Amino acid sequence: MTTEIKWRTEMDDALCLGQKAGKPILLDFFNHN
Amino acid sequence: MDTVTYPESKVVRFIEENFIPLRVPSDSKPHAEKFNVKWTPTLITLSPEAQEHHRTVGFLGPEELISSLLLGLGKYHYENDRFDEALARLAQLVDGYGQSGSAPEAIFLVGVCSYKRSHDPKPLKAAYEKLSALFPDSEWTKRAYPYRLL
Repeated sequence: MTTEIKWRTEMDDALCLGQKAGKPILLDFFNHN
Repeated sequence: MDTVTYPESKVVRFIEENFIPLRVPSDSKPHAEKFNVKWTPTLITLSPEAQEHHRTVGFLGPEELISSLLLGLGKYHYENDRFDEALARLAQLVDGYGQSGSAPEAIFLVGVCSYKRSHDPKPLKAAYEKLSALFPDSEWTKRAYPYRLL
């Protein structure tokens, strides 16, 4: 069972996966400071 | 979001099932500038072609996040003329999260999607009547006001 979100960190990687899976991307801009 | 919302198992499940999740620092170049990000968290529903369909800024608890993401999915399909898929997502939002902040816009879009699919104006009037009954002070009720005459 999935216990945490497996965030991608590269835009191109996520867009490519989205095209293959037919899913949109949830893009989270977060404050890392 | 990291301490309250993202650890919730139903949030994890919903995001993993419906999205490719992508996290980018708010000062990352060129993305933050391209998407005009000014505050965090900023959450955007993007098509795989990098077209923006929905955006929220600020904290959302688990229920509000899921309902907002359902609205994002609905708008993603609606803006690509996939009205049946859009209506399915919007119905999921209205039925499951009818008191959420995203519900009024979803009701409005149900009317619009139904009209665009059928060219029957009745769903537009039904959307106004539902909005005026449930959310009389909502911005979306005001936007649907002309549909009362249909």
